[in-house]
Amino acid sequence: MRDYLLFYVNRTRHEIRGERAYQSLTDLLRYDLDLPGTKVVCAEGDCGSCTVLVGRPEDGAMRYQGIDGCIQYLWQLDGRHVVTVEGLKENGKLHPVQEAMVESFGSQCGYCTPGFVMALAAMLEENAPLTRQGVKDGLTGNLCRCTGYEQIIDAALALKGKAVTPIAERFHDAQMLAELDACAQDSVEIAYRESWGRDSRNVRIGIPTTVAQAVDFKAKHKKTAVVAGGTDLSVQMNKGKTEPDTLLSLVHLRELEGVSENDGWLRIGAKGTWTDMERFCRKRLPEFHKIIQVFASPQIKNAGTLAGNIGNGSPIADSMPFLFVMEAEAELTGPSGSRWVNLNRFYHGYKQLELRPDELITALRLKLPKSNETLKLYKVSKRKDLDISTFTAGIRMTLEGETIVRASVAYGGVGPVVLRLPETERFLSGKPFTLDTIRKAGKLARREITPISDVRASQDYRLQLAENLLLKLYHEVRQEKGWPPPETLSA
Amino acid sequence: MTAVGKSIPHDSAVGHVTGEALYVDDLPPTQGELLVDALASPVAHGKLLGDNFDELRQLPGIVGVYTATDLPGHNCFGAILQDERFLPEDVVEYVGQPVAVVAAENRRALRKAKQLAQLEIEELPPVFTIEEAIAAQQFIGPPRTIKCGDFESAWTEAEHRLEGVFHCNGQEQFYLESQAALAWPNEEGQILVHSSTQNPTEIQQVVAEALGLHFNDVISVCKRMGGGFGGKETQAAIPAVMAALVVHHTGRSARVAYTKDDDMRSTGKRHPFKIFYKAAFTAEGRITGVEFDLYSNGGAAADLSTSIMERALLHSDNAYHLPNARFRGTVCKTNLPPNTAFRGFGGPQGMANIENVVQEIALTLGKDAYEVRRLNCYDHGLRNTTPYGQTVQHHMLPEILDRLEESSNYRERLQEIETFNQTSATELRGLALTPVKFGISFTTRFLNQGNALVNVYKDGTVQVSTGGTEMGQGLNTKIQQLVADELGIGHELVRVMITSTEKNNNASPTAASAGTDLNGMAAANACQKIRERLAEFAATQLADAESGCSAEENCIRFEDGRVWDERHPEASIAFAELVKLAYLERISLGERGFYRTPGVDFNRDTGKGHPFFYYTTGAAVSEVRLDRFTGHLTLEQADLLMDIGESINPGIDLGQTIGGFIQGVGWVTNEELRYSDTGDLLSYSPTTYKIPNIQDIPDIFRVDYLQNPHHQINVRRSKAIGEPPLMLCLSVWMAVKHALSCVKPGTIPKLRLPATGEEILRCLTELSSQVTFSTPEQEIPLVAPPSPVTVEEAA
Repeated sequence: MRDYLLFYVNRTRHEIRGERAYQSLTDLLRYDLDLPGTKVVCAEGDCGSCTVLVGRPEDGAMRYQGIDGCIQYLWQLDGRHVVTVEGLKENGKLHPVQEAMVESFGSQCGYCTPGFVMALAAMLEENAPLTRQGVKDGLTGNLCRCTGYEQIIDAALALKGKAVTPIAERFHDAQMLAELDACAQDSVEIAYRESWGRDSRNVRIGIPTTVAQAVDFKAKHKKTAVVAGGTDLSVQMNKGKTEPDTLLSLVHLRELEGVSENDGWLRIGAKGTWTDMERFCRKRLPEFHKIIQVFASPQIKNAGTLAGNIGNGSPIADSMPFLFVMEAEAELTGPSGSRWVNLNRFYHGYKQLELRPDELITALRLKLPKSNETLKLYKVSKRKDLDISTFTAGIRMTLEGETIVRASVAYGGVGPVVLRLPETERFLSGKPFTLDTIRKAGKLARREITPISDVRASQDYRLQLAENLLLKLYHEVRQEKGWPPPETLSA
Repeated sequence: MTAVGKSIPHDSAVGHVTGEALYVDDLPPTQGELLVDALASPVAHGKLLGDNFDELRQLPGIVGVYTATDLPGHNCFGAILQDERFLPEDVVEYVGQPVAVVAAENRRALRKAKQLAQLEIEELPPVFTIEEAIAAQQFIGPPRTIKCGDFESAWTEAEHRLEGVFHCNGQEQFYLESQAALAWPNEEGQILVHSSTQNPTEIQQVVAEALGLHFNDVISVCKRMGGGFGGKETQAAIPAVMAALVVHHTGRSARVAYTKDDDMRSTGKRHPFKIFYKAAFTAEGRITGVEFDLYSNGGAAADLSTSIMERALLHSDNAYHLPNARFRGTVCKTNLPPNTAFRGFGGPQGMANIENVVQEIALTLGKDAYEVRRLNCYDHGLRNTTPYGQTVQHHMLPEILDRLEESSNYRERLQEIETFNQTSATELRGLALTPVKFGISFTTRFLNQGNALVNVYKDGTVQVSTGGTEMGQGLNTKIQQLVADELGIGHELVRVMITSTEKNNNASPTAASAGTDLNGMAAANACQKIRERLAEFAATQLADAESGCSAEENCIRFEDGRVWDERHPEASIAFAELVKLAYLERISLGERGFYRTPGVDFNRDTGKGHPFFYYTTGAAVSEVRLDRFTGHLTLEQADLLMDIGESINPGIDLGQTIGGFIQGVGWVTNEELRYSDTGDLLSYSPTTYKIPNIQDIPDIFRVDYLQNPHHQINVRRSKAIGEPPLMLCLSVWMAVKHALSCVKPGTIPKLRLPATGEEILRCLTELSSQVTFSTPEQEIPLVAPPSPVTVEEAA
C-alpha cells in the first residue's frame, strides 16, 4: 500500500502526498507545476479549455483519451500519464495538429486553443473520422467564442491523410509503462489532518484495487464520496458546494469496467464509461445511442459512467427515462454480498437513494428491447449538444397492428425524481394507436407531472412538452411504420 | 512582394497552439504575491449597515479586507457620466457588486473568506425591468432624438399602418478569459498593472484616480486578451482597481482573476431593449414614415449606455431609406450590473427592430419580405440620405442584395419551403435575407485618433507598438503587415509589442471596429517618416555621378528587404545594411505616428451630422428548420456576402466574418439570460448559458466578398470588420419569424428575441391553438429562485 499518488505529467514522474493530493489536475498544472498552457474557464466541464490527454496502460501499451482536466481530481489519476499542450511539441517542432491550427486560422484570441489542440490530438489518437460531422462530434466539448468554429474544422480536415505518430509511440517509455501498470495492483490510502484557524478536519483518500477493499473502505467510513468519472462531484467541489472529507476513488477497479451482452441482457460495469456505452449502443440500441451522442462531450463521456449517473440521482439525468422504461436494475454490493434493485424503486426522493452507506453500485443490467417493441427517447434542451436537459422522455410501447398492447412512459425534469406516468400508461394500454388516443394521453400526462419554472424553462413549456412529445412519437412511429399520414396537421 | 493582402497567420498563432502565449493569470507569481477577490453584494438594492470584515481580517492567510474608505483617491468613475463607484459607500445597486476587496496569501484562504463574508443590508425596493424603470421614471441621461421629414403627416396620410412592441434580450460577452488584473508595486508609490483590457489608457486613469496618483505614476499594459467583445472596454476597471488598491496598502504584488461564474454574475452585458414602433407604408411596401421609441436596460450605472443608445438610434434605419422618421432613445436605470459594450454596440438592437418592422410590413401586405427589403434599400440616387443627414456613399447595398438573392437561389428555395410548410406535420422551415449597413467610427469625435511607436533596430528588424489591444481580432497581425509593407521588408522582421501606456499615451479603447483603421494608419504614418529619412540618406548612398544620377530621394524604392534608386535598380542595398549605415550617420531610426479620422462629427443636440467615415455593408440568407413539437431550431444553411473593401488579411477577415455571425446567432437563438425574481443571474455559466457549439454551425455555410471599386479611403482601402458581420445573424431570427408566419397566414407571430426553443414553441402553441403561455410581459423573464431540482450537473 502506498501513501502517495503516482503519475506522470509530460513524461515527468510525480509522487503526490498529503494535502497536495487534494486538488484538481488543472490547479496542479497551473499553480504547482507552472504549466499554464492548460486553461480553466468554466471549471465544470462545459467548455473544454482544460482538455488534456490522459493515458493508461491497456494491454501492454498506453492508451490516451481526451478529458477535461478541471474536473479530474488527482485521486482519479493514480497510475496515469497526463499529456498537456506543453508536452505536444516534439523536439521543438509543432505537432501536426498545432501546425494545422496555425495555418487554417484556427485560433483568434487563443484562450480556447490549447483545449481544441488537445481535443484534436485526442481524435487522432482514437482514429476518429476526419469528416465534417466527425470533426464536429470530436469537438463538441470545446467552446470557442471567436472563430465560429469553421476555420477549426478546416484545420481538422487538413489533417486527413497526414502521418501522425501516435502519442503512445512518441512517448513510449517501458519503465513508465511498467510502473503505471503496477499502480493498479497497489492500493493507496492518504490520510492527513488539516486545520484552518480554529477549524480542522481529517481527510482520507482511498484507492482500492478490489471491490472487496472498496466495500470495506465504505463500510469503515460511512460518509464516503465515491468517485469514478467525477464529472459531477468535481463540479460540485470546484463550485464550493461540497468538500468531502473521505473519498473513495475507483480508478483501479478494472473488474468493474466494460459493457457486455449475454442472452438478451445488457450488463454495464459500474466503471463502464459513456464512451463504452456509446460504442455498444451504436448498433444494439440506436435510440439510446442518439441520446448518448448529444448529451455530453467526448471528454465527459471518456470519464463519466452510467453508474455515476444513477448514483448521482438527478431528475434530469439523461439516461433515466430509458432505464426506467427498460426496468433496468442496479447491482448493489455490500459487506454481505450483492442485491439487484429495479431503478423504478431506487429513488425515494430528490437525490435520496435505495443505497445503504456500506453499499456500492457495482453494475447495471437490463433486458434489451424485443423486436415488436417501440422505444422512443427524447431529450429537450436549449442547445442540442452538451446541454443539461429541460425535459427528458422515455416511451416504450408494444404495438400489435395499430393497437397499443402495453406502454411505459417516463418523464424527467418534471419533478424531484424521474417519474413513471401510471395513469397515462394504463390509459394507453389496449387503445388504438390514433391521434385521438395520443392527444388524450397527452392531456393525462400533463396532469400527472408537477414541473417548475427554473433557469432552463418555464413550467408552461414543460407542461406543453409533456403533451407534444407523445404527438412527436405518434408522427414518428407512423412514418417509420409506413402508415399513411394522420388526418389533420397539428402540433 | 507585399505582406498586405496576404493570409499571414495570426502573429500569436504559434503561442496559442503551444500554450506559450500568456494571459494575465498565466504570468508566474512574484515573491510575496497576494491573491485578491471581491466580496460581493448578495442583494440587488440595499443600504449597507454592517459587515463581519473585522472578523475576516483575523483569519489565517487573510492579509486585508478593504472597502470604499480605504480608497486614497476619489471613488467615482465612468467613461461618459462619472456615476459609478469602485466600491459602494452606503448603497449597493446590483447583485454581485463588489463591496470589499479581500487579499489573501493563498487560494484556500481567499475561498474561505468569500464563503464566510457576511453583509448586513437593509433591502430597498429594486427595479429590474424596463417597464419597472419607466414606471419609476428611473433614467440615465436625457432622452435622445434623431428625426427627419414629417412623421405625423406620413402617419396620417398612410395607405397602411403598423404598430407594435419589439423586445430583445441581452447577451453575455462570454470572453473565455474572465476579467483579470495583476498589479506590481514600482518605486515611489508607482504601480504597474497588467490588465486584460481593451482600454489600457482608461485602466491607467482609473487606477491613478482611485489611488490619488498622477497618471504618470501608473503604467497599464496588456499583452493580449482571451477575448473582449466589448466586455473589457470599461469593465476591466474594477478588477484593476482591486489589484492596485491591495498593492497600495501592502506594497506587495496582487492578482485578481475572476471565475467565470463571478464574472457573469457581476459584469454588464449587451443591453436588453424594448422598442415601441409605428410604421406607415404604401400598398407596394414602400416605407413612408416610422416612429421608434427605444428603451434600453442600462443597469445600475451609465457605463457606455448613452453611447450605445446613440448607436442604436443611428442604426435604426439599417439599410433602408426612411423619408420621415422619428427615433427617440431612453436609457433605463435598473438594479442589474451596468450593461456595457458588446460587439455591435447598440447597432444590433436598432437593426433588429427595423428588420422586424420590415418583415411585418411584408406579412401585412402578403408580400415576400425580401421584396420589401429591396424596395426600401438605400440606392445610388436620391434615396440615400440617412435620418441623421449623412449620405450613404460609395456603397454597394443594392448590388449585394441582388447578387446574394441570385447566388443563394433565394426565390426557388422560398417557394419550396412554403410548400413544405403546408404539408409537413412535424416541421416548419423558414428563409430570410437581411442586409447590414454598419457605420464605422466612434460617434464620439475625439476618440477617433490613434498613435504608434515604430523602432527600427540596427539589424534591420522592427518593433511597433500602438495603443490598440489584441483580443484575437488580428489587429497586431494587420499592423505587422502594414509596417512591413511601408518599410518594404518581410513581415517576419516586424514584431508587434505589448500594448503599454508607457509607449502609447492617451489611446482610445480598441473598439468600434476601428482598431486597424486608427492604429494601422498611425503605424503607417510613423513608418513613412522613418522611410523619408532613410530615403534621403539612401539617395546619397545610391547616387551615381558617372551615370548622371544625382541623389534624388523621390526615386528611392523600398521593397523585398532591399532599397534602390529606381533609375538604376542594379545597385540595390539591403534594408538591414542601410539601417546600419544610417545609424552610424546618426539618423533617427525611431518614430511616433499619429492619425485622426478626417471629417467625422455629430451634433448630439440636433441629431445631425456625419458621424461615420464610411459604412461596412453586407447581407445574409439563412434557412432554419423548426420542430413543431419542441420548438427546437436548426440552422441549416447560411450564405453571407460582404463588402469589406480590400482585405489586409483575408484569413483573419474570414474568421471575423464567421465568428461575428455565429456570435450573433447565439444572441438571436439560444443565449438566454435568466434572472431570479431578486435580480440574481441564474444562467451564470456555460452549463445554463448556451453559446453556440460547433454542432450549431450550419452544414451549408458559404461566405463571400464583393469587390467595391468605389471605396477609395481608409488604410490600404480596407474596411473595418470587427462588428458588422455580427448583425448578419438577424437573417436567422427573421427566418424563424418567416417559418412561424406560415402557421396561420395573415397572423403576425409575436416572436421575441432570442428565439429559444421555448419561445418558438410558445409562438407555435399560440398560433395553432390560441392557448397563451403565461410568459411574463417583461423583457427579462424573471423566475422564482431555483429549487433543489435545478442543481447543476455535468452528466
